Amino acid sequence: MPDLENPFQETLIQRHRAESCTVVIFGATGDLTHRKLIPALYNLAVDGDLPPQFKVVGFARRDKPDDVFRAELEESNKKNSRQGHDAALWSSFGQSIHYHQSEFQDVEGYKSLKTLLDSFDKERGAPANRLFYLASAPEFFDQIMLKLRESGLNEGAGDKFSRVVCEKPFGKDLKTAQHLNEVVSQTFHEKDTYRIDHYLGKETAQNIMVLRFANLMFEPLWNSRYIDHVEITCSENLGMEGGRGGYYDTAGALRDMVQNHLFQLLSLVAMEPPTGLSADAVRDEKVKVIRSLRRWRGAKEVAENVIRAQYTAGSVDGVDRVGYRQEDRVNPQSNTESYVALRLYVDTWRWQGVPFYIRMGKQLPKKATEISIHFKNPPQIPFATETMNGTSNSLVIRIQPDEGISMGMLSKTPGQSLLLQSVKMDFRYSSSFGKASPEAYERLLLDAMSGDATLFARRDEVENAWTFIDEIEHAWHNEGEQPPMCEYPAGSWGPKEADELLHADGRAWRRL
Amino acid sequence: MSNLSDSSLAILGQEVPLGRVDKALKELWGADAARTRASLMNIAVYSEDPDSLERNTQLLGEITREHSCRGLLILALPDQTPPQARAWITAHCQLYGGHKSVCSEQISFVLAGGKADQVRNIVFAHLDSDLPLVFCWQGDLTENFDERLYSVIDMLFVDSSTWCKPETDFDRLQFAISQNTARFRVYDLSWLRSHSLRTALATCFQSKLALEQLPLLRRMEITHASGHRVAALLMVAWVAVRLKCTLDICQKGLCLITAEGQRIEVLVTDNGAGDPLQGIFMHSDAANISVTRVSGSQYAKARVEIGDHLSEEMLPADLGSDGELIGSQLARLGGQSLYFQMVPMLRGML
Ligand SMILES: NC(=O)c1ccc[n+]([C@@H]2O[C@H](COP(=O)([O-])OP(=O)(O)OC[C@H]3O[C@@H](n4cnc5c(N)ncnc54)[C@H](OP(=O)(O)O)[C@@H]3O)[C@@H](O)[C@H]2O)c1
Repeated sequence: MPDLENPFQETLIQRHRAESCTVVIFGATGDLTHRKLIPALYNLAVDGDLPPQFKVVGFARRDKPDDVFRAELEESNKKNSRQGHDAALWSSFGQSIHYHQSEFQDVEGYKSLKTLLDSFDKERGAPANRLFYLASAPEFFDQIMLKLRESGLNEGAGDKFSRVVCEKPFGKDLKTAQHLNEVVSQTFHEKDTYRIDHYLGKETAQNIMVLRFANLMFEPLWNSRYIDHVEITCSENLGMEGGRGGYYDTAGALRDMVQNHLFQLLSLVAMEPPTGLSADAVRDEKVKVIRSLRRWRGAKEVAENVIRAQYTAGSVDGVDRVGYRQEDRVNPQSNTESYVALRLYVDTWRWQGVPFYIRMGKQLPKKATEISIHFKNPPQIPFATETMNGTSNSLVIRIQPDEGISMGMLSKTPGQSLLLQSVKMDFRYSSSFGKASPEAYERLLLDAMSGDATLFARRDEVENAWTFIDEIEHAWHNEGEQPPMCEYPAGSWGPKEADELLHADGRAWRRL
Repeated sequence: MSNLSDSSLAILGQEVPLGRVDKALKELWGADAARTRASLMNIAVYSEDPDSLERNTQLLGEITREHSCRGLLILALPDQTPPQARAWITAHCQLYGGHKSVCSEQISFVLAGGKADQVRNIVFAHLDSDLPLVFCWQGDLTENFDERLYSVIDMLFVDSSTWCKPETDFDRLQFAISQNTARFRVYDLSWLRSHSLRTALATCFQSKLALEQLPLLRRMEITHASGHRVAALLMVAWVAVRLKCTLDICQKGLCLITAEGQRIEVLVTDNGAGDPLQGIFMHSDAANISVTRVSGSQYAKARVEIGDHLSEEMLPADLGSDGELIGSQLARLGGQSLYFQMVPMLRGML
């Protein structure tokens, strides 16, 4: 056996299993680690998908021994784990968790981290891959990158990789994103940089490509000849609960959701078929969509195509809600939008003249993220059109909750007269597949450990998206005549100006 | 049908005349306000064991937990007279988060005097169109396993541990596969039962340290529960094929011989009760490498001890019931080529 290959490997290949790895989480005492990251890793352990001899190191400021850290994580895992909590498994999984106390700014802390990681490798008998997960506020990214570099942790041990995963927000405009990218690229290669967009880890987001490129019946119609318009909606029925106002008021709906998540969905819907399934082949096509977005000249054009708004007092789910400016930690004179609606055009051959309407808002009637494709009317309908209620076909891809796909089509209603009615054919993930989908973070952590960057944002995607978003922000905040800040009562479907945006084109938002 | 009591038939639901099955199903779903019927495949469970009805209804219930389907439960009693065919319908609904989510329909048939013609016709007449056919054939592959029937099967599940005449059954299976009209993939539950154990063992050899011990192995033991010797032998065959060993059956028992001429003694131990496969232990002079089922849990412990080095890991253990095994295979799909590499060696050990 001179080449020392694992002869039993064949069994592992089907399982998407990564090689031995240590994950270091910066900001490990925080909310994200407790609610998402550790439960995701635990659930990978439940499914046997963790790499062998796996370790997690939590890096944060407060001093605490390993067993206290483990006990805290165990408590939150009980509440947040998708597949429940098994004491026997936790007792083994918990042993792989360690705590490392240090300030982000303290290079000595990184040197001792390196010693700790080296000692794990020694225990394993060979070096392992290293994944550094930045679950800290973005203002610390610079420091952490610098110190990783100074301590040599950015270089993999032996032939193993050293990778970084960056949480959102990745910058707050083009300048800060470019700066972050510069800092990251001085420390890690682009191929080892994984920018999380957890929307891409959702099953239905991944299914968009399957739906389009594995089914012949959609792609021939997927163009301006047959599609009238596309809507992407992300509605939330919450406001600024849990002190979120502090961060949100510095960002707003456009930066917080549209620049990343909704542009990613837009890219998946509008992209050309990739030449292969490699991470770059897919991302090459996605970034072309963002680059092809029609630009607006000046505040007037922005105002014609983008509606921003804040909620005023109202009621959601029978509970009274205060207005945005009255929320905890929100500036009472705030000029930050809690709602945004955009009319976009993708200037490519395929999409010429097809508007993409995107809307995102807080304190709307329900929680839902979905994409709807609205087809054109048939050239001629040989039936009495006045008897129809809506004549066009639609395809709806529900991202969350109740993930699934539905198709609206016309059918004759029973009876003597020729009445047509729009009927819905519905596919729901939960009724067709009893198995629950993994959480987005499970998939993304596993992909980062095994080196598949397809579901992560690439540098040019992020920067091109910011370039576009910056122009709107610039018109909103910097020029003389700013587009108005509209209003909508909490619990409604947004400002009337957003309805008018579509009415002006002879269309209306889909009823959710 | 004298030896089937009314109580054993009651579990099958509502009896309907054979010619009215489709109509009765329509009525059944018409009464369901939730309209939650869903179907991704046809799953037929076939048995010639008169005591199988309750067990197989549970089996279908378990499979439908994750795979919505039209279930066909067929009990053929070829030697029983007079010939008579009866049918029942029922539904399996699974609750998720307190509301009805996936509902699958089950049509059951008891075919007294059921020969190949009748079985085939019953299957053909009641398939949900366009959907794949998964066929779970229980017990020996009898005369009823005929070409016209297996040519419509997409996935065939068998359990070689339950075969009374494994030589004949393997012959029949291999003959069937060699037919031009056969398109199905075969999954042997005896082989699937060791999937996680094999994965865990592969994990033990992910490190260089452990790999270096492979050519030095001297002994291997596999422990199993009564009735699962074939599953254990398939594990032995797998190790042999992966390590490119030949098999030597001598008076002392089984032995694997590596390409370098090293002998690995093999012990296959029946532990009586417990999980079908309980552990695999590999020893060299310096190393003890094992995967053992942790009793009463869903996990197996993978342990690598080489000199001073010790590592332990908990990994998922193999699923216990046939329903879970079939369900997980349906989710995973995957090929059968590996299995057929094991079969000739297994036959040498039977
Ligand atoms: N929470 C979510 O659901 C969520 C979702 C998406 C993205 N994100 C992003 O993920 C990141 C983290 O969010 P979070 O909610 O987990 O934050 P958080 O709860 O505020 O946690 C911050 C963490 O950073 C550590 N920390 C702060 N200053 C430090 C310093 N100088 N040196 C060492 N450690 C320091 C804290 O350690 P001590 O406790 O020891 O002070 C704590 O572990 C943010 O970028 C956020 O935007 C969060």
